[in-house]
Amino acid sequence: MGRYWQEFFLRNGTALALYLLISVACWMLLMIILPQIFMLDFSFRTNVPPPLWGTEAHGYTMEHYQYMVYGSAQSTDSYNFVDLSVFGRTILTAIFVTLIDVALCYPVAYYLAHVASGGWARLMVMALIVPFWVNELLRAFAFKIMFGSTGIINNFLVAIGILDQPFDFIRNGVALYSGLSYAYILLMIFPIYNAVESLDKNQIEAARDLGCPWWRIHWRVVIPHAKPGITSGCTMVFMLTAGALAAPQILGGPSSLWFTQIIYQAFNQAGNWARGSAYAIILLSTSIIFVLCMMKIFKVKLGEIAR
Amino acid sequence: MSADVQLDQVWIQFGDFVAARDVNIHIQEGEFFSFLGPSGCGKTTLLRAVSGFSEPSEGRVLIGGQDMAGIGPNKRPTALIFQNLALFPLMTVWENIAFSLEVKGVGTKERRKKAEELLELIALPGQGEKMVNELSGGQKQRVAIARALAAEPDVLLLDEPLSALDLKLRQHMRTELRAIQQRVGITFIYITHDQGEALTMSDHVAVMSQGIIQQVGDGNTIYDQPETAFVASFVGENNLFKGKVSEISADYALVDTSAGNIRARTSKGKDRLSAGDEAYVFIRPESLKIANASEFDNRIGANIKQQEFEGSFWQVFFDVEGSDRDVKLSTVNDGSTLIHKVGDKVDLGFSADMAIATPAGELAAE
Amino acid sequence: MISDHIRKTFTILFVLGFFAYLFGPLIIMSLTAFNSSAFPRVTPWECFSVEWFQFLGKDAKLIEGLQNSIFIGIGVVVLAVPLGLSGALMLTQVKERVRPWYYTVTISPILVPGVVLGISTLLFWDRVGTMFGASRESVFYNGFFLTIIGQATFISAYTMLVFISRLQRFDRVQEEAALDLGATHVQTFRKILLPFLKPAIASAAVLAFLASFENYNTTVFTIVSESTLTTFLAAKVRHGINPSISALAVVIVALTLFGAALHEVFKRRELAAEKESARIAKGEQVTRRSKNRFITDPAVILIFLVTIAGLGTIYFAGTMGLDECKAAVKAEKQRVVQERVKKREQKSMFQDAGRQALTPVPKGAGAKSRPAPGTSNFQGLFSPDNLEEQAGTKEAEQEQEKTRAAGTEQFQGIFAPQNLEEQSGASEEQQ
Repeated sequence: MGRYWQEFFLRNGTALALYLLISVACWMLLMIILPQIFMLDFSFRTNVPPPLWGTEAHGYTMEHYQYMVYGSAQSTDSYNFVDLSVFGRTILTAIFVTLIDVALCYPVAYYLAHVASGGWARLMVMALIVPFWVNELLRAFAFKIMFGSTGIINNFLVAIGILDQPFDFIRNGVALYSGLSYAYILLMIFPIYNAVESLDKNQIEAARDLGCPWWRIHWRVVIPHAKPGITSGCTMVFMLTAGALAAPQILGGPSSLWFTQIIYQAFNQAGNWARGSAYAIILLSTSIIFVLCMMKIFKVKLGEIAR
Repeated sequence: MSADVQLDQVWIQFGDFVAARDVNIHIQEGEFFSFLGPSGCGKTTLLRAVSGFSEPSEGRVLIGGQDMAGIGPNKRPTALIFQNLALFPLMTVWENIAFSLEVKGVGTKERRKKAEELLELIALPGQGEKMVNELSGGQKQRVAIARALAAEPDVLLLDEPLSALDLKLRQHMRTELRAIQQRVGITFIYITHDQGEALTMSDHVAVMSQGIIQQVGDGNTIYDQPETAFVASFVGENNLFKGKVSEISADYALVDTSAGNIRARTSKGKDRLSAGDEAYVFIRPESLKIANASEFDNRIGANIKQQEFEGSFWQVFFDVEGSDRDVKLSTVNDGSTLIHKVGDKVDLGFSADMAIATPAGELAAE
Repeated sequence: MISDHIRKTFTILFVLGFFAYLFGPLIIMSLTAFNSSAFPRVTPWECFSVEWFQFLGKDAKLIEGLQNSIFIGIGVVVLAVPLGLSGALMLTQVKERVRPWYYTVTISPILVPGVVLGISTLLFWDRVGTMFGASRESVFYNGFFLTIIGQATFISAYTMLVFISRLQRFDRVQEEAALDLGATHVQTFRKILLPFLKPAIASAAVLAFLASFENYNTTVFTIVSESTLTTFLAAKVRHGINPSISALAVVIVALTLFGAALHEVFKRRELAAEKESARIAKGEQVTRRSKNRFITDPAVILIFLVTIAGLGTIYFAGTMGLDECKAAVKAEKQRVVQERVKKREQKSMFQDAGRQALTPVPKGAGAKSRPAPGTSNFQGLFSPDNLEEQAGTKEAEQEQEKTRAAGTEQFQGIFAPQNLEEQSGASEEQQ
């Protein structure tokens, strides 16, 4: 080991070696690892104002996690249905949105990679990126305009007679789900596109030659090859959707409250930072579990987050 | 300025792997010295130890009499020409050449002047403004040399510099390098696996295999008086007969081989032959003759297998009893046609002085 | 074969539909930026106007948010680029077995939800602050400090990826050559490694700035009492809507397109230069075309000209004749309303007794007390649309100011858009 460090300093010179060590240590410890540990610790402590942090009053407790499941002492429900249902809905919706995105993006990615001719394909790929230069907040806003009662969708539906009066898409969550499906399409389509593009066209030709119907070709040839791309896309979309804050705040109605909004409220309205941390830990754990599951089930390694 | 280089009981080890084993060499100042050996024999490792990129596990490296332990590559009076040249792609040719001056803080005008001088030396006048990727292979080679010379080293180290060039260019560069060395007068340490290069360019050659120095000497000595089986089989072409020493004297030995008894000179290396030892007998193809009368010390029966005409040479291949390899004979095409045909049974003759017997040992790979 | 055809057509339609889904909302939003109506809409289209862009320029809070975003962006670049570089350099030097773990730890911030990063940064530094007993004004509680650190946590991972990719093409032997020629380690770093990394440093910086600029999830927690452009936008979008937000979107897209066009030109020049070098190496004589400066490149000049021309045209289209157009629109609205009132007066004259309740509809709230038949959903619907209503009533108030002089008090409250529609809906029902 000593020889390793000796060589390290020899290869880089003292100045650079120190710079590398200090900056990487700072980044890893002060910015990545310690804050998470502190947050974890915080979530197990009682909620006291900052001046009392670290003092006797700042003791350990499980109350915040218990709160999520059982609710407050004053409530009459046996479980904290509000928070639990919000959590459940967030996760389920995120899964649902992920599936929608796969269904939307896979055909398009395949089309761009193998069917469209070179010039067009390149143009379309570049065109895909353009909407995502616009800030996610503004994109959510665009949906809000579109789905509003005087928005173009309602105007259209009323004009052709399907609806008599403008329909409140926002309150029942349709706007939010559309907005969320839209938000992270880029992160789904590019991994799939890259994966599918690397498939040798000859394999598809060979399968077709052997009499394979088109759906089988996809099922047995293309999709297995594109698996890492699909997995990577699904992971990113799920995590970003579950952890989304802007779209729910802008497009959400009272019946589609998002788990991140509860965390936000805990910090900004209830002033209960400890509970907020506990919920944040729950969100983080869910994300980690999801990533690990995806990696295990689809046998993909962590290096597949090409951005 | 030039300096001598001494490797004193140098061992270089990486974990369990020994790259260089007890190397003791003294390179004279101002000479052209080559390390010759197959890939992986440890010559690059030695070069890096001399230039300062690694420290020997044991032993000392001395340059100009000074122990170089702990002195980094940027402080040693050496300059290294890397196998892939490692020219700086983002700098122009003259900036590359003048780099060693730039890091010393020399002003731009002076650096430019020096670079132009060196460009003259390597026969690329006026090409200073070009970028490196606009040069051909041979031109890059020369720029690398100029860049190293600009640092005014006492010792110039060259790591197989010609291996990437095509044949004609390689031969041309051989003469050029030698000429530059003689003009500039500094010590050159050159490593290669090509014996032609080593023998034609060097004052002395060290033959290496698997981390061990087999022999050090000038070209003639290495060729005519190999000290180990490896040197004999690696340098030039050699016919091999395996056997056992039946008699031995000061300078000669009688070896009992499956092709008969052969009388040969003994090798004069660290290991000497004694009676009863396993020995290898080597005879160069050009030393074999087809014997008419018994004018030779040694005669071996053989069948002509194949005859090849190569313009200035005839190569004749023989089947010899007890030898699993063909025996090769080279003879100059002096107008007299060979009388024999394929399939003829003849006697091969050679004098004892032309054959050499070494202790049995490692052979060069085919 | 026919099924093949059907499938192909379906696929193409699907792809077209996909792109429509992708671009549709944005195109609509961009169009609303040019509509002079006070609420972002495309139909009905009032007048082509650039007033919302001018409105943007006058919004002080927006400017403040913008300045803060830029300040934070620069801070993040200064922090994340060197960190990413060390991260990448260290990666190439750690032992084989450690490497996957090292990589996982440094990449992890990308996968962690942004809100979690924001919260953990906030908590950690506030805790450190209390440990040192620092005051509330100190750096530990400062929104800028926290935001820069919080964002840099994951943005450094992005920059690290950029550097890793660039470093893979670096021949490390060059560094040895430099050392061998007498350079110190610092000189080698400065003269050999950094020039090679220059393009990567540039892209990393741009990437870091853009990622910081558009970040919301993390910033909203770490920014404490300050604001950035994104937090300002979020507040604005939730509480009061007018087309200036759409105008902002248009500006952002235009700037990005402009930047992308320049970037394309830059890349093509590089490619041409490389091709030239290769040909010179082969010994061909080549006239140096790529040595001309970037600014004077004809493509660049063309881009600038088109941009300026485009901007000028839009400006003129949006301001010339605007007042006349607006006056015409207002006149049209008044005319429509007058017609409706006339119609209702006619009806009420016919059905006096039963229609007492139908006289000039009060502001907004009236809709709740009389749901039109067949639209049971309509009743609860006004809650989220309250915002619209507020905007509507604001519009109504503005109009009222202008029309008061004309003595049209009886039309108070009728100008609210919903009421217009509801009126037309209701009167159509009756017919």
